Amino acid sequence: MSTAAAPRTRPRAPKLARGPRLALTAAAIVAGVILPFFLDAGGGFIDDATLALAYVVMALGLNIIVGFAGLLDLGYVAFFAIGAYTMGYFGSLFHIEANGGEGIHVLVTGPAAELPGIHLNFLLIVVLAIIATTIAGMLIGLPTLRLRGDYIAIVTLAFGEIVGRIALNGDEITGFGTKLTNGRQGITPVDKIDLPFIEPFTSLNLRPWYWVAFVMVLLVLFVNFRLRDSRLGRAWIALREDEVAAVSMGVPAVKTKLLAYGTGAAFGGISGAFLGSYLNTVNADQFQFSFSIFILAMVILGGLGSIWGVVVGAIALSFINNRLIPDVLNEIPGNIGLDFDLTELSFGIFGFLLVIMMVLRPEGLIPERRRQIELSEGIEDLAVDEDEEPVVHATVP
Amino acid sequence: MTPDDAILDARGVTKRFGGLTAVNDVSFSIPRRAIVSLIGPNGAGKTTFFNILTGLYKPTLGRVTFDGKDITGGRPDKIMALGVARTFQNIRLFGTMTALENVMVGQHARMKAGLFGSILRMPWVRSEEQRVREKAAEMLEYVGLRSEQHSQLATNLSYGDQRRVEIARALASDPTLLLLDEPTAGMNPQESDNLTRFMQRMRDDRGLSILLIEHDMKVVMGVSEHVTVLDHGEKIAEGDPATVRTDPRVVEAYLGKQEAERQRLQGGAA
Amino acid sequence: MAAASLPGTSAAPVRALRALLGKYGLILVLAIMPVAFGIHDLRTEGDLSRLGNNLLDGLSNGAIWALVAIGYTLVYGIIELINFAHGDVFMIGSFSAAGFFGTIGLTTAVGPAGLVIGLAVTLLVAMATCGTLNVMIERVAYRPLRGAPKLAPLITAVGFSFILQNVGLLWRGGSQQGIVDLIDSQEELFAAAGVSVTHGDALAIVVTIPLVLAMTTFIARSRLGKAMRATAQDPDAARLMGINVDTTISATFLIGGMLAGAAGLIYALYQTTVWYFQGFTAGLIAFTAAVMGGIGNIRGAVLGGLIIGVIQQTSDNRIGSQWTPAIVFAYLVLIMVFKPSGLLGEETREAG
Repeated sequence: MSTAAAPRTRPRAPKLARGPRLALTAAAIVAGVILPFFLDAGGGFIDDATLALAYVVMALGLNIIVGFAGLLDLGYVAFFAIGAYTMGYFGSLFHIEANGGEGIHVLVTGPAAELPGIHLNFLLIVVLAIIATTIAGMLIGLPTLRLRGDYIAIVTLAFGEIVGRIALNGDEITGFGTKLTNGRQGITPVDKIDLPFIEPFTSLNLRPWYWVAFVMVLLVLFVNFRLRDSRLGRAWIALREDEVAAVSMGVPAVKTKLLAYGTGAAFGGISGAFLGSYLNTVNADQFQFSFSIFILAMVILGGLGSIWGVVVGAIALSFINNRLIPDVLNEIPGNIGLDFDLTELSFGIFGFLLVIMMVLRPEGLIPERRRQIELSEGIEDLAVDEDEEPVVHATVP
Repeated sequence: MTPDDAILDARGVTKRFGGLTAVNDVSFSIPRRAIVSLIGPNGAGKTTFFNILTGLYKPTLGRVTFDGKDITGGRPDKIMALGVARTFQNIRLFGTMTALENVMVGQHARMKAGLFGSILRMPWVRSEEQRVREKAAEMLEYVGLRSEQHSQLATNLSYGDQRRVEIARALASDPTLLLLDEPTAGMNPQESDNLTRFMQRMRDDRGLSILLIEHDMKVVMGVSEHVTVLDHGEKIAEGDPATVRTDPRVVEAYLGKQEAERQRLQGGAA
Repeated sequence: MAAASLPGTSAAPVRALRALLGKYGLILVLAIMPVAFGIHDLRTEGDLSRLGNNLLDGLSNGAIWALVAIGYTLVYGIIELINFAHGDVFMIGSFSAAGFFGTIGLTTAVGPAGLVIGLAVTLLVAMATCGTLNVMIERVAYRPLRGAPKLAPLITAVGFSFILQNVGLLWRGGSQQGIVDLIDSQEELFAAAGVSVTHGDALAIVVTIPLVLAMTTFIARSRLGKAMRATAQDPDAARLMGINVDTTISATFLIGGMLAGAAGLIYALYQTTVWYFQGFTAGLIAFTAAVMGGIGNIRGAVLGGLIIGVIQQTSDNRIGSQWTPAIVFAYLVLIMVFKPSGLLGEETREAG
């Protein structure tokens, strides 16, 4: 902690007054809602937009874990997987022998109501996904969140990998008369979303999907804002900044971290369930380490802890990944006479982006005030008062 | 003084880090509504002892009782919730939060709003936030921080103001025992004097017990009712200020054998 | 901090028990697989030769992991950072070696003497390449971020990992690439008690042992080695003693990289395939080894590498190689949860 002699003022990003901010938010929401009417209902652009919204939900979830609470989570894909497989289990033909081949149906209409397998209403599946991911988050978090920061990173990465491997090889595991997963082949087809009083969705008209995703984003944003400015939000920042001081002020470390981890996990599960249905498949290729980094990059690009920043970062990276790299970069080499497929570089470009971001602008596009201070002034994580504690490092012999 | 009238009682506390014994069989008590000091040369183990009392370290041996409850090896946040608050030798404020927010965090253990309460922001949550915010402002005023400074980022405050905020943060939870780790470090005599009187005021207003680690002898002698001296992790003397000051072992610990000898020869030994 | 409930008695006997359980519990958990399969073998086939082969192959593989693990442990010991890109540096080592064989036209036709010389030169090339690469990564990814919160260098390391993987992808394509089997890797050198020692096994052990010994001696005796240890203990004090901390850190990365390069060469010769993605899994396996042995502890890294190698081989052979990463990672999680200081490490500070 620096012992400043005189107060310094720091140029801060100008904050709008309350009135204009509300107006701007309302305008953004209205714009978001009416956007689909200007787009071709089955076209590529609305597809990208819906996907981007689903990623926004995930990025906001990870933002709670990494941005608010400062926990290095490199295995977020695990929650995507759990949410998606919940959708796969309870909204498809996967458990085809359920109920003696008759199938189990709860609150579903349309074609799914006749099919074998387990078919629950989408909203019920979302609830199940939240429960599943929260339990998983507790199980993973309880033993690991009391470790030091970089260890948390590695353990969450390991968990992500374990879940990914189980997804991949789950077609070898059988129990209760069914396989665990369908491996690479995946669970497909997956039920379309079916909401009460509305016709089941189709793959031709993407507008209803878009609006569901949009509503998800609004809900998640709401939760984010509420948490940020609450007792819990302050506790997260305190823990992140100085864990020793925070616990000395009465903040229970593990419990508070678990709350962040569980909440973030739940968002991942919600989005995962949605994507399972939207993409009409739940297969192991979707659940790789690079996905965790993809979402993490959105959070970092947007600005760790900055809610709007993360939204922008997620939308930006989603479009870059789905549009820019395949479409645009594919053409550039041809246009300048190179026989080369730039999509092969997407990995490397991505990595390059990460490096550049952290070195040049670690606080992200729309920095969150506190992170900007932390990152530009380099306030370090001090574990314990270093003056009197005899430091016992494992020695290099 | 029996352990019963003590707000805090430590018996035989020992802490070993691998081969190093930082604290060796230290016992002492803090009476209620008293200001006591813990002194000793640098590296004597004072902060380590503090850390044991607040639960940051678990003692290798020994027992710590607070207000009748055994808190040995307890979790820091749980001990804090019982009514033990502290400040740190190197100020550990949450630099990216405002002064007000820092003091609000100090009340974390006294608040109830949880995950769902915060999301739904029910009326009781809103009034709790309001109450906590008002109390934080009140605490900052109590320690003498001007109201314009309340919404300043802690990292931008002057050193003296940061110390003030740290104390306000510790007081915000209405503790019964306050542990201050070198609170007058970096202060000039006038400021130290103010702080001394402030400590007495805290003790009188709020019925606090205060345990002080200090190097400034004027403060120690001026405000403490009881002084304990540590050196190399062991208690080498205790008693009222006057007795301790002239104890040859204490002089030797601070100033070396030669100075102790010199003082003895000059006829100053107790 | 452990979740101790409030009423706590003198914690010494309880803590001693927990420590005992921690150390031996880990050994127990590690031993389960080989022991269980050993018993299974005795019952089904009546001898332990299959297990013996598992162990031997495990040790040879483990030697490779040990070299990579040392790199992780050295870097972590000195700057408390997980060099995420290290596994991919190892991969580049394999690629460089394979590429170099091709460039100098090294084939089995040159005869044993030529082979030895050719391999020795390749070894130097691989070590130099990877050493330099590692140093460069430190300069670009870690040094500018030394004061930043730990997330920042971790991210740049991941970024570099991706960049290196892409380099590998462009270099030799997306699928596993066979390379020339220079040492007849699978051919048996000799057999003992039903356990077959192949050329590959011999190579792994013959190259690794001198390297590890050389390096341990270097760190124990040389000035630079002392500087490294000093910086690992207390960088500020080291600086005050006149040690150039920056150079020392670079040297650490250099050594780690060189070992990874050597590991890459051995791997290429042993497996006779290279793959752009081999670094990712290798990195995590080697990191598990480093943690298992006690992060920051070189002997621990070697021990951990050997143990992980055995676990990996046993799993590949008995359970199926598609499950091996999951099993190794499960071990990693177990270690970090129950004994983060590893087998040989001292109690390091936990969070808070």
